[in-house]
Amino acid sequence: MPPTYSHSPHPDGRSSARTSRRRFLQTMTAAASSVVLTNCARNLSNPSAANSPTAGSPSPGGNGNTLYVYTWANYTDEELLKNFEAKTGIRTVVDIFDSNEAMLAKVEAGGANAYSVIFPSDYIVAEMLDKGLLTELDRSRLPGLSNLNPKWSNPTYDPNNAHSVPATWGTTGLIYDPARVNGKTVTDWNFLWQNKGSLTRRVTLINDVREVMGATLRSLGFSYNAKDPKQIEQAYRKLVELKPAIASFLTNGWEDQLASGDLSVSMAYSSDAISLIEEQSSLEYVIPRSGTSIWTDTMVIPRSAPNPDAAYEWINFMLDPANAASVVERLNFATPNKIAFEKLPTNIRNNSSLYPPEDVLAKCEGISPVPPEVADVYDRFWTQLTSA
Amino acid sequence: MSTTIPPVPSSLPDKPSAQTSWRRKLNKLVQPLVLLAPAGLWLLVLLVLPTLLIFELSLIPGFRLGQPADGYGIGNYLEIFRPGNPYLQVIGRSLFFAVGSTLLTLLLGFPVAYWIAVMAPARWRNLLLVGFVLPLWTSSLLRAYAWITILRPTGLLNSILGAIGIPGQDWLNRSPAVFIGMAYSFLPYMVLILYASLEKLDKRLLEAASDLGANPRQAFWKVTVPQTLPGIAAGGLLVFIASLGDFVVPELLGGASSMTISRFIFNQFLGATRNWGLGSSLSMILIFAVSVSIALLIKYGDRDAV
Repeated sequence: MPPTYSHSPHPDGRSSARTSRRRFLQTMTAAASSVVLTNCARNLSNPSAANSPTAGSPSPGGNGNTLYVYTWANYTDEELLKNFEAKTGIRTVVDIFDSNEAMLAKVEAGGANAYSVIFPSDYIVAEMLDKGLLTELDRSRLPGLSNLNPKWSNPTYDPNNAHSVPATWGTTGLIYDPARVNGKTVTDWNFLWQNKGSLTRRVTLINDVREVMGATLRSLGFSYNAKDPKQIEQAYRKLVELKPAIASFLTNGWEDQLASGDLSVSMAYSSDAISLIEEQSSLEYVIPRSGTSIWTDTMVIPRSAPNPDAAYEWINFMLDPANAASVVERLNFATPNKIAFEKLPTNIRNNSSLYPPEDVLAKCEGISPVPPEVADVYDRFWTQLTSA
Repeated sequence: MSTTIPPVPSSLPDKPSAQTSWRRKLNKLVQPLVLLAPAGLWLLVLLVLPTLLIFELSLIPGFRLGQPADGYGIGNYLEIFRPGNPYLQVIGRSLFFAVGSTLLTLLLGFPVAYWIAVMAPARWRNLLLVGFVLPLWTSSLLRAYAWITILRPTGLLNSILGAIGIPGQDWLNRSPAVFIGMAYSFLPYMVLILYASLEKLDKRLLEAASDLGANPRQAFWKVTVPQTLPGIAAGGLLVFIASLGDFVVPELLGGASSMTISRFIFNQFLGATRNWGLGSSLSMILIFAVSVSIALLIKYGDRDAV
C-alpha cells in the first residue's frame, strides 16, 4: 500500500494561519463597510451639511473665473455665453436638466456645490426654500430687478423675489400638425379624448406629473392644484382612457417626430413649441381654452455655490434689457423683463403664442406645491399610469 | 507491488535558512495581492460598496432624500409585493422582455453561428466574426436611436414595405420595437458565444450518426444540439441578464406602456416621486435576479465560451 497522507500539508505549513488571516481581513472589510455606510445614510438624509462649500474636497467650480450654470435645454446658446465672457471675463459652463425633479434630486444628493446658478421652476423654488437650499439675494447687487414687469415682482412662490429672479415664463399647450388631424382645429385639451381613436400612438405628453394631471384636472373643471383625492382619481381614470393614444411621455424629443409626421399632437412648453414653429411654420401651437399652466423659470443661487460673485454677474447680465431682448429673439421664450419687452420687434410682441392676451392669461394657473400627503396621492396615480 | 518511498532527507537540498524563508513567505503573500489589488480595489470600491449602500437604503422604508432616516424595516419590500401596486407587473414585464429577447437572439444567432463555425470557409471565419462584433463599436444609445429612425411610421421600414406593397407597420413605442432593439443589441454576444461552442463540435459524431442511419435533421437534434447545450445556456443566460436590466432600449423604443424595472428605478430616483427607499429595494431585487442567473451561468454554462 503506498503511503498516503490524510491531507497534504501546505509546504510552508501555514494552513491554519492563512484561514485566520482571511477571516481577519473579512471582518475588517465588513467593519469598514458598515462604518462607511452609516455615514453615507446620514449624509443623504442631511444634505445641507454635506453641501457646505467648505466640506469635502474642492469642487470643480471653485476656481476664480468659471461659472457653472445648471439650466434647461435651449435657455442659453453660444452667442450668449460669448457675450457674457466678453463683458465680464468669466467663462461659463452649462449643464442641462430636463425635469425639475431630476435637478432637485441631484442637488439634494450633493451636487449643489458644483453650480453657482440654477434655473428651477416656480413650484420647485418654494420646495427648495423649505429645504434651505437657496441663498437670500443681496438686492443691492442686483440693480436690474427694477426692470421686471410688476406682475412678477411679488410671486406667491417666493415673496418679493427674495431668493430668486424670474428669467423666463411661458405656458404649456398643444402643438399639432393641422395636416394630420383631419382638418379639425385643436382648441382644448378635450380634443385628445374626443379623437383618441384616430390618434392611436400619435400623441406625446410632457413627462411631468403636475403638468399632465393638472391639464386633465382642468379639462374636468378642477384646478391644477386640486387637493381632493377623489378629483385626482377622476383625472387618473380619464388619463387611463387616453393611454392607447399616448406614444410616450416626452418633455423634449418629440420635435423631430412631430415635424416628420410620426406624431400628430404633442403637449409642449411654449418656448419649445415656438422654436419648432420657426423651423416648420405649418405647425400650430394652441393654448387650450379651458386654461393651462403658466410657468416661470427663475435664477437662483444655491447656498453652496462655489462662485457667488460670478453668479451675481450672470443674473445682472440676464436682467439687462438689451441682453434679455436679444436672447428672447434668438431662443423664443417670453421674458418677464418689462424694458426688454418694449425693445422687442413688433411681430414678436404680438405673437399671441408667446405673449397671450390678458383674457387667456386670466384662465391660466400657476402650479404651486401641494402638501406631502397630496403629493403622495399624485405620485401613486402617476406611477400606476406610467407603469401600466 | 510498487511503493513510493519518501526521499531520504539527506538527499534533499539543504533547507533554506530562517531569514530567507520568512522573506519567501512575505513574497508569497504580497505577490498575489499586488497582482489582484487594482482589480480587487476597483471591484470593492465601485461594485461592492455601492451595492451595500443600496442595500442599506432599501431597508429604510419610504426613504426620501433630505428627510431624516427613520429607522430600518422591510417596508419597501412589502410595498413591492402588496397586491394592488403595479410593481409586480413591472417586474413581470421586464421578465417578459428578457425571456422574449433571449429566445429571439437564440433563434437568430444559432443559424448564423452554425454557419460561421461549421459551414463557412475557414479563411472567412475571423472576418465574419469581426463583422458581427462591429456594431458593438458604436454606442448602444446611437443604435437605439437608429432603430427609432427605422421603425417610426414614416421611417425606413415602412418606406420599404410601401414600395413592395405591404401595408406599413406601427411597431415603434410598443413591445415589438423593444424586442427588435434588444435582439439587435445582444445578437453579437450570442453569436460569439455560440460560435465558441460550435467550434468544438465533434464532427466525427455526426459522421457516426449518419453511418448509423440518422438523417440530417435527427443528427442535428440528437447530436449537435446536446453537444452545444452548454454554449446555448451560456449565451442565453448572458443575454437574459443583459436584457433584464437594460434601460436604453425600453426607454427609447418602448413608449408609454412598456415600463420595465430599470426605467421604474430611474423614475424613483430622478422622477417626481423621489422615493429612494423603494428604488433601492427594486434595485436589490434586480441584483438578486441577476445573481441567480449568474449562478446558473456558472453552473451550466460553457466556461470556455463566455
